[in-house]
Parts: sequence; structure tokens; C-alpha cells
Amino acid sequence: MNFALRIYRRLAEAFPHEFKLVYGPDLGQLGEDVVADVARRHGIAGLIRLVADIALCLAAEYLSEMRRDLRYAVRALIKSPGFALVGIISLGLGMGITTSVFSRVWNQMFRALPGVANPGELVMPQNPVSYYYIEQYRAEKSLLAGAAAFRNGVPFNVALEANGNGRPQRVFGQLVSPDYFAVLGVKPQRGRVLNPKMDKPGDAPAVVITDRFWRDRLNASPDALGQTLRLNGQTATIVGITPKGFKGAMPIVRTELFVPVTVSAALASELSNDVLHKHDAKAFQAIMRLAPGVSIDSAEAGLDTVTRRLDNQDPSNLRRADKGRRVTLLDGGTVLPIPRAMKPVVVAFLGVLVGLVLTIACMNLANMLLARGAARRKEIAIRVSVGASRFRLIRQLMTEGVVIAMLGGFAGLALAYGLSVLESQVRLPQAMPQDLDYSLDWRAFVFAFALSIISGIGFSLAPALQTTKAELASTLKEGSAVQLRGYRRFGMRNLLVVGQVAGSLMLLLITGFLVIGFSRTNNFQTKFDANTMYLLAIDPVRDGYSPEKAEALFEKLPERLRAIGSVQSVALAAQAPFSVASGTAQLTASKDPRDASRTLKVVAKETVGAGYFATLSERMLAGREFTERDQRIETSEDGSSADGSNMVPLPAVLNESAARGLFGNANAVGQRVSEDKQSYDVVGVVRDLKHGMADDDDPTLVMYIPLTHRDFANPPAGGVTIMLRSNAGADALGGVRREIASIDPNLNVFDVRTLSEHLELSRAYMRVALDTYGGIGVFGLVLAAIGLAGVTAYAVARRRKEIGIRMALGARKAQVLRLVLREGVALVIVGSVLGFLGAMAIVRVLSSLTSMFADSFNVSVNDPLLVVGAPLLLGALALIACYIPARRSAKIDPLKTLREE
Amino acid sequence: MADPDLQSFLPLKTQWFHIMLSLAGEEQHGYGIMQGVLERTGGKVRLWPATLYGSLKRLIEAELIEESDERPAPEVDDARRRYYRLTALGRRVLNAECDRLQELVRAIRVSQIMVTE
Repeated sequence: MNFALRIYRRLAEAFPHEFKLVYGPDLGQLGEDVVADVARRHGIAGLIRLVADIALCLAAEYLSEMRRDLRYAVRALIKSPGFALVGIISLGLGMGITTSVFSRVWNQMFRALPGVANPGELVMPQNPVSYYYIEQYRAEKSLLAGAAAFRNGVPFNVALEANGNGRPQRVFGQLVSPDYFAVLGVKPQRGRVLNPKMDKPGDAPAVVITDRFWRDRLNASPDALGQTLRLNGQTATIVGITPKGFKGAMPIVRTELFVPVTVSAALASELSNDVLHKHDAKAFQAIMRLAPGVSIDSAEAGLDTVTRRLDNQDPSNLRRADKGRRVTLLDGGTVLPIPRAMKPVVVAFLGVLVGLVLTIACMNLANMLLARGAARRKEIAIRVSVGASRFRLIRQLMTEGVVIAMLGGFAGLALAYGLSVLESQVRLPQAMPQDLDYSLDWRAFVFAFALSIISGIGFSLAPALQTTKAELASTLKEGSAVQLRGYRRFGMRNLLVVGQVAGSLMLLLITGFLVIGFSRTNNFQTKFDANTMYLLAIDPVRDGYSPEKAEALFEKLPERLRAIGSVQSVALAAQAPFSVASGTAQLTASKDPRDASRTLKVVAKETVGAGYFATLSERMLAGREFTERDQRIETSEDGSSADGSNMVPLPAVLNESAARGLFGNANAVGQRVSEDKQSYDVVGVVRDLKHGMADDDDPTLVMYIPLTHRDFANPPAGGVTIMLRSNAGADALGGVRREIASIDPNLNVFDVRTLSEHLELSRAYMRVALDTYGGIGVFGLVLAAIGLAGVTAYAVARRRKEIGIRMALGARKAQVLRLVLREGVALVIVGSVLGFLGAMAIVRVLSSLTSMFADSFNVSVNDPLLVVGAPLLLGALALIACYIPARRSAKIDPLKTLREE
Repeated sequence: MADPDLQSFLPLKTQWFHIMLSLAGEEQHGYGIMQGVLERTGGKVRLWPATLYGSLKRLIEAELIEESDERPAPEVDDARRRYYRLTALGRRVLNAECDRLQELVRAIRVSQIMVTE
């Protein structure tokens, strides 16, 4: 009983101050009066009831107080809409950007693979491996519960009617080993998935389609199972449909169907050259499930040993002497597997960026709340003197902060949503359709909401504490502008302003470095009107052509097209010009690839046909470009010979940077370079046609190799691109389409666009990145300016009396202005220095962590425009921000000010 | 039924009804109200202290009762306690609620007769 009474008293004490003032004594007294009676009549249950009752009422009382605070806060904010609006916009921008970045990173890097069982157990090697190796990995039962091979981004020309009528559509899918679905743990929604027992080599081809294929192309027809399709001209039967949401492993490349590797090479030309059995045909990705209790590190070490053993069995393997690690495992259960070591770097970089944005936004809010609190000191003092508790007032002020923060949170969500819509409309100029998920994640909502509440509470608490600390008597006696103690030196507001200036300068510099770096590495110009070049792609092999027939077609096609009146020149290429490089090669200038002193250069490899550079109006700097004869070179099949040194050297054209990188100032033409087993004779050098993204080690080095029959027989995912230059204004395209149709009406022509449209697309991606980073930088700048203006305005208001007295004693306007500006300028200078140092430090750290940023930072860190310009820009803006409110100080009327007392 | 102002209060919450009923006759303090309700309902309805004072606070905010500044005779006065009484509005609301309940009881009786027959 005494215990219950003690709790009762404690709870009665906890009621809000206002409630206690009126009912506190009665409530306490009543509890003491009835407790004996309650215990007698109801026993222990009654005592519990007594305590529960007061606890519930306590909560209800606080809730109703909160409701009132909220109403009051909304009213107060409506009364000063400018303040509310600036706060909401600051926080909204900050949170919108944060949420957008958060959900993008989450969706693209860390989200578990949708639709698979236990994604945490899935791993995949960083690099493609051969099918044979995957079969060997599968045998390591102590390490892996399963290992499947897949190859994504495989194009199929699909005709829905089995009789071959109807236009084929180009659909991307995966070639998978039959145990693929078992390893991923995916059950079909209809029919069956592929499995090793039912899908054997030589069986009638079976395909599994995704829910998307079923809905989009078969109208979710209930008879889809058992229906036959023509895939690349061959018949195949649909045996199953995967569940909704399952998009395959590595889903950023869109996958609509799964074809087993047991089909013939006639159906999937990717399977030609016996890739399933050749030990060194690294044509597949492996997706593997760890055995129970095996960590990713021990699996990596185990597979490394296995790989080393397998490598050693092949005498021609160049990696035999290599001491380095041969297998690096990635988290296969994520949407975009990135090296595990990279994750913290990415997170750290984004964390710094987002942290800066948020800090600036929140500092702005805190600063404004502080200024507002100071302006309301008198009101608060009056409320305290008529009996409001300090706690109550703090709660009131914090409610205002939380309301602003929550409204800012909503604004931020709207912004993030807008950004995600914008981003999803950007298409990448790549052969395969990308399936990037830009949708906002519910976690992002929670994240933004939690962030807004926390920042609302956090950044209104300190100002609220400070505001309510005022001494009553002096506050009521003085005017509304009361001196804050310690303002001149390290007042919180000054620290905030310095922090804000430093933060926004850091933001401006880092984003500026990225913007300049990116735009430097993405600067490509054509020497002609890009509107006059058309790009189109065909893929005869996937339209059912035999390799020989395809070769014959490509042999005569350029001439036939050139014969059309308005066409000036025609060239073929394995990829559209200025697109993301299709592959890279490690080149050495030494004749012997096993030479220990060789210097390796990583170059981007582009496969181009005869007359490619002429069609682009590029003059050769030295040597010649490829001719039709080069296209007919008999290349040995990829890695077919056991001893690679006998392979026929291919001609190659280097760009200027690559020539300089490999041969210095010596003449590159006539020299030989080698890559693994293949060697190349340099026949020409061409100007750097800058292209690509700064995503690989050194993307500006390019080697061009000729398009040969191998590419015709097994075209890349984007088909073979035909480049056509036409006379300006002429509609060459109609003629071209007619000509191709007259050769073969069933030939599927796709990806038709002008070069300028293509370039627009390639720039779109960069433009979004630039807009985002640039936007973040400008945003920081604007926020910092708002903050500074607020601080100066506040300082002027606070010192009205002082200024009035000074002016009454004879100070001139300029002197007063200088007095006010001096403070602001000092803050800006301190902040700028700190921000500059901070930005440099961050750039150093990021560059040293990864080459990803090093490229763009390297070209831009020493850019005088930015290094000098950014601080100047910030300084100028800051001065304007100080000056506008400071001007008001000069307008103070000394008589009026002094009379106000 | 005429006064729409009254209707917005009906039906009254049980605690409110009991409190107002206790105040119908005379001014009371919290303890008195609680005892009164206990006695009137034969110990079936107990107003727990926090609920009681929470309800009093809200009744005052709704202007159905008010704090009394008149004190009873000194020999029964408990100086530490606050006394409450019905306002004019409170009295009308209480009457309307009583009418409503009587109406209800009559309706129940009629249907009971019909059922038992």
C-alpha cells in the first residue's frame, strides 16, 4: 500500500505545471485519503487500478497540452510567414536531397536482390569466369551450397507466333545454367523453372519468362505455358513464369527471359566457339550460395586456391606467375554488387556530402530560431512572470521547431519524389536497357521523417534554452533587444555562422571539383553537324542468319547504302560512337608479353569498321585507318589455340593519348603492342575523341580494332551499328530503310537515331549528375547567404540603441555601416579559411581512397577558376547578404530610437 | 431538444454525468464528489482520483461547472480543498441528459413488456 502511494505521489508530481498549480494538492490529498479504503475494498487490484488511472491521466494531460502547443505554434508561424517559409524551404531542400541520395544509394547498392531466398548467402566473383571454372566451383561442397552460371544482357529477337510471322522484337534475357533458379531459391508462379534434371543438352529448348514479359508481351494470357516462341529464328517453348518482383541476378540490366545454356549455339550465338567447355573462355558470371556457416572471406580464400590450381593446369595461362588474388567475391545478393572494400568509401563520400547539406540547413534553422527567440524575449518574460513554467515555454518553442521541421520534411519528400521522377526519365546511351530503380524507398520516408523530427527537436532545444534563460526583471525593464551574454566572442550564433560559411564553401568546392572534372572528361565535339549522321543497328544473326550469310550481308550492305542518293558515307561499328566503352584491355608495348619490365596501360577497346574515321570527318594524325581488307582478316577464334604466341596480329589504331602513353614521343605507327595472347600492329594514330565516363582507370586511352567476321557472326548486345552521313536536310533514313527492306524484309532495324540525339542521351546522364552536384553547391551558397543576412539583420536590430546613441554623438553613416559590416566580414573570413582547408582535406582523403574520384579531382583540384573563384563568389555573396540588412543601420533615426525607451 | 448548444454535449460521459449529478444539489469538493458517487451507486462506480480531477478540469473548460468562491460554514469547511458547482449551462445540460435517459428507460420498459408478453 505504501509502495502504491509512493508511485502515486511521484506521478502526481509529474503532471504539467499548469495542472499542478490548480489541482496538484487536491489530487495528492485525495489519493492519500482513499488509498486505505481502496486497499480494503478492492485489494491489490484496486491499488493497481489507482496507479494505472493516474498514469493514464498523466499521458492524456500531456497530449492535450501538446495539442494546444501545436495549435499555438501553427498560429505563431502563420503570423510570421517569411520566417516559416525560409525555415521550411531550407529544411525541405536539405532533406529532399538527403532522401533522394539515400534512396538511390539504398536501391542501387545495398538493397537485397528482390525475389530470391536468403540473399545474404549469395556471393559472386567480381570478374567473369569460364563455365568450366564454375563447374569446378560447384564441386566445392564444403564452401558452396550451389554455384550457377549466368550471362546477362543477352539479346534475343523474339517472334511471338511460332509460324515466324509477326515482327520480331528485341528482348534482353539471361543465358543461365539449369541450376540457376535452385541456387537463387526462386519458385515459379506458374509452370516450372529450369532445373538440371529436366533441361539437358539436346532437349527441345525451354525458356522461362518473367512476370513482366508475360504481362507486357503476352497480355498475361492464361495459355502462355506451353506456347512456342521463335528465339533468334529457332523454336522454343515457354515452360514457366517467374514470380512478380524477381528480376534475375544483377537486375540493373533488364531481363525478361531466361534461356538455359543447354540450347544450341544456333539459338544463342553467345554459346558458339564451345564456350561451355573451353577453360579460358571467361564468358559467364557466377552466382553462388555459401554453404551453411561459411563466411564470405573463407569462401574467397577457398575459391582462390581452387582457381590457382585450375590456372596452373593451363600451360598457356599468363596469370600463372601472378601472385595476386585471383578471386574477389562480391555480395551477390544485392542489386548492384560492388567490391566490398568500396562500400565504406561510397558511404563515406555520400555521408560527407549529405552531412554538409543537412548541417547547413539545420544551422540555418537553428540560427533563425535563435534570432526569433531573442526577438521574443519580452513576450516570454511576460509569460514567465504570469506563471508559465520554463519547461512549458521550452516545450512551446520546441513545438514550433518541430512543426517547421515536419513541414520541411514534407517539402523534402515532395522534392525527393520530384527528383526520382526526373531521374527515372533519364535513359543511358547503352545497348542494353537499364533497369535502374529510382523509386523512393519506404525506408527513405522513415529516414526523412526521423531526420526532420530529430533536427526539429535538436535545433530548437538550444535556442529555447537560451531564450528562456533571461532574467525577468532586466528583460522586462529593457526594450525587446536584450544583450546576450558572450555574444562578441564565441556566442553560439557566431559559431553557427562560421560553421555555415565553412560548410557551404566546402560543399561548393567539392561539388565544383566534381562538376569541372566530369565535364572535362566528357567533352566531345564532332567536326560536323551531328544532326546529319544517323545511327541504326541490325543484328542478322539473331534474325536467324547463319554466320556466313550475315558476313555476306555486311560485305555488300555499305555499298548498297552508299548508292542511295543522299548518303555521303557509311561505316560499321560494334558500338555507337561516343558511347560507353565496350571493353578494356591491358596493353604492353613490349614484344614479349611475359617481359617482366613491361609497362601496362589500360585502354578502352572499340571495334570499328572500314572508313569509320572518315565518316566522322577525323583526319588520321599518322598512318592509315581500317579498310575493307582489314575486315576480312581471318582472326583465330577467341583463345582457341593452345599456344597463343602464334596468333595473327591484328591491325590497330591508337588515339593520341594511347600512342603517347605506350611509345612516348616515338612514332607509334609500325610498332607492335600485345594484350594477353593477342598482339596488334599499330597502323594509325587519331586525335582523342573524348568520350565515356570517368569510371575506369584511365578512360582517355583508346585502341580501335577492326570489325571482323567474328563480330558479324556474334554481334555485341547492341547489334552492329551502321553510321550514315547524309546531305544536310535530306531524308536519308527512308531510303535506307527501303534499301534494307529490299535486301531482306525480315531484317529487324532498331535503335534508330541521329548522332545528336545519341550525344544528347550520353550527356543526359552527366547532366543529371552535374545538375545534382551543382544544385547542391548552389543550394549551400544560398542557404549560407540567407543565414548571414539573418545574422546581420539581427545584429542591427539588437544594436539599434547603441547605433542611435553613436549617431546622436556625431557618428557618420559610413562609420556606422563599417561598424556593422566588420563583424560579418570577420565571420566570413574565418569561415572561408576553415572551409577551404576542410575541402582540400576531404578531396585528398577521397582521392587516396579510390580512383573513382581521383580522376575528376585530379583534373580540377588545381583549377584556378574554382580554387580562387569559389571563395570569392562566396565572399561576394556573403558581403551582399551582410550589406543589405546593414544598410538599415544607417537609416536609424537617433531621435526615434532614443525616444523609444 | 430545442437548444442545439445542449445537444452537442449529449450523451454525457459517465464520469461527467456522475460528477454533475453530485453537484446538482450542493457545492462539493473532489473527495465529496467521489464519496457521493460511491454511495449513490452502492459502491459500483468509483471515480479514480486522477480521472476525477482530469474530468473536473475539462468540465470547467467546457463551462459546465465552475469553481466556487463561497465557502461553506466554517465548521464543515476544509480550507485546503477547492469547491465546485454547476453553472447555468451545466444545469441545463444535466437536465437534458436526465430527460434523455428517462426517455431511454421508458423505451426499454415498453420493449420489455412486449418481450415478456
